[in-house]
Amino acid sequence: MVSSLWDNIFKKDLQTKNITEILRQCYMFSTLTKREVKLVQNIINIRNYQSGETIFKLGEPGVGMYIIAEGCVDIYVDDFTNSKNTESKTQPVFITRLKKGDFFGELALVEESGRRQATAVSSTDAVLLGFFKPNLIEISERSPATGIKIIFRLGEILGRRLKDTSSKITDLKKALEKLRDHKST
Amino acid sequence: MTTAPQRLKQIKHQHRVQLFAFLGIIFFIFYMLMWVDNMLLSTVLAFVLFYSFGPFVNAFERRGLNRVLGISLLFAVSSLFFIFAVTSIYPLVSSQASALKSEIPKYINGTTDLILKTESQLAIFSELFQDINIIGQTEKYLYNWTQSLFEDLPNFLSHSLTVTLLAPFFAFFMLKDGPALSRRLFNMVPNNLFELSINLKHQINSQLGSFIRARLLESVLVGALVWVGLWLIGFKFATVLAIFAALANLIPYIGPIVGAAPALIIALINGEGPMGVTLVLTPYLIAQIIDIFFIIPLVVAKIVNLHPVTIIISFIIGADLLGVLGMVIAIPAASVIKVTIANVYEHLVEFRS
Repeated sequence: MVSSLWDNIFKKDLQTKNITEILRQCYMFSTLTKREVKLVQNIINIRNYQSGETIFKLGEPGVGMYIIAEGCVDIYVDDFTNSKNTESKTQPVFITRLKKGDFFGELALVEESGRRQATAVSSTDAVLLGFFKPNLIEISERSPATGIKIIFRLGEILGRRLKDTSSKITDLKKALEKLRDHKST
Repeated sequence: MTTAPQRLKQIKHQHRVQLFAFLGIIFFIFYMLMWVDNMLLSTVLAFVLFYSFGPFVNAFERRGLNRVLGISLLFAVSSLFFIFAVTSIYPLVSSQASALKSEIPKYINGTTDLILKTESQLAIFSELFQDINIIGQTEKYLYNWTQSLFEDLPNFLSHSLTVTLLAPFFAFFMLKDGPALSRRLFNMVPNNLFELSINLKHQINSQLGSFIRARLLESVLVGALVWVGLWLIGFKFATVLAIFAALANLIPYIGPIVGAAPALIIALINGEGPMGVTLVLTPYLIAQIIDIFFIIPLVVAKIVNLHPVTIIISFIIGADLLGVLGMVIAIPAASVIKVTIANVYEHLVEFRS
């Protein structure tokens, strides 16, 4: 009984330390000081998911991002190419598997009534740290300097994603033009 | 070893259990608020203090002051201010109130005389009004009301004292431990509804906070304008009437009329002519013009986007369920219900369809 009590106290302490470490290592919060990380830690939401449980679905209203503290999360999108040809239900297409320390869904932090662009499902039992728009607003109200640091990082991440997407579109356009040229000749 | 469909079924069942547990706790809290003496009023006042002090606590924290220290400092300063205000205003209010109390029989007789005159004038116009006996009933009602008012005064004072002590106590812990407590409560929400609940809580919080701050500002301004106006024309009981007008203004639609009624009755009974009555009503009129044309459109209307019919219906329901308190909290309660329905609809119905 006593040992399990001590075990629980240390386990809780260990979990707190783990979360602090995960937040410090997360790119979004890497510029924050120890005190600022503690503020974020007191505001974020720790959620436990079972293997196979849906975190969010494509098209669902979203209000924030998740950081993986433990376990893995699979990301899926709907296969639109198949749904055009057949009238049956769209099949989800696996995109990527995210691991401990990765984060996803950050676009919802800045979108006005944004919708989820993909479906996220926990592929193992997972512990996620939910960081939502109301949390970001609370941080900005209580400590504007911390809020600005997070928003700068968020802008940087979204900018990088936009750059990647633009270069992918350019590559696709070039490939399409090549294909057209090849067809015409 | 469970299969994937079995596991999904288990997860769904778990979500349902969590949702029932969460709703059960919410229902229990509401039940306690409605049935335990003084609890509803204390909680409403605690919320008013919570939303009024919240921005100041955040401002202290932004300047590097520890949150608990900031809350304690704010409560200490406002307690001192409250004591100072009570001790400095109390003699004035008390003397005006006792003067008003001693003159109440005169005002009751004056009111019945006024009604008597009106009744006889109405009788001239039509035979239909001959059977009307407003005077007997009104006089009886007014005497009963004033008698019960003074009989119930000790009971009322004991309730007020409990509420005055409980509300700041609740507000202190709401500011200090509220976020942690609400996080613990919201941890019970199932994963599939968690984002919806967090967003809903945030919207309700910001809407209620803005609404309460706007209404308080509105009441203080109306009270101040009425006080300045009545003081300038040298009208008796200016402070008591201004406090009454400020409090009555919290009730939508009929509040401003109720707030001005005592001054009008006093003016009529004192035999003021049309000029005198107009002069007494002018401060109320100016206060209402500023309220209707500036404060409501610029501050209140932007916060609560409710249709006038919805406001009136919620107002009637509030009055029927909780009396004056119901009238005061009708609009914020209606706006909370509206935000909840809109969010749940968007999340569950619109998305699924």
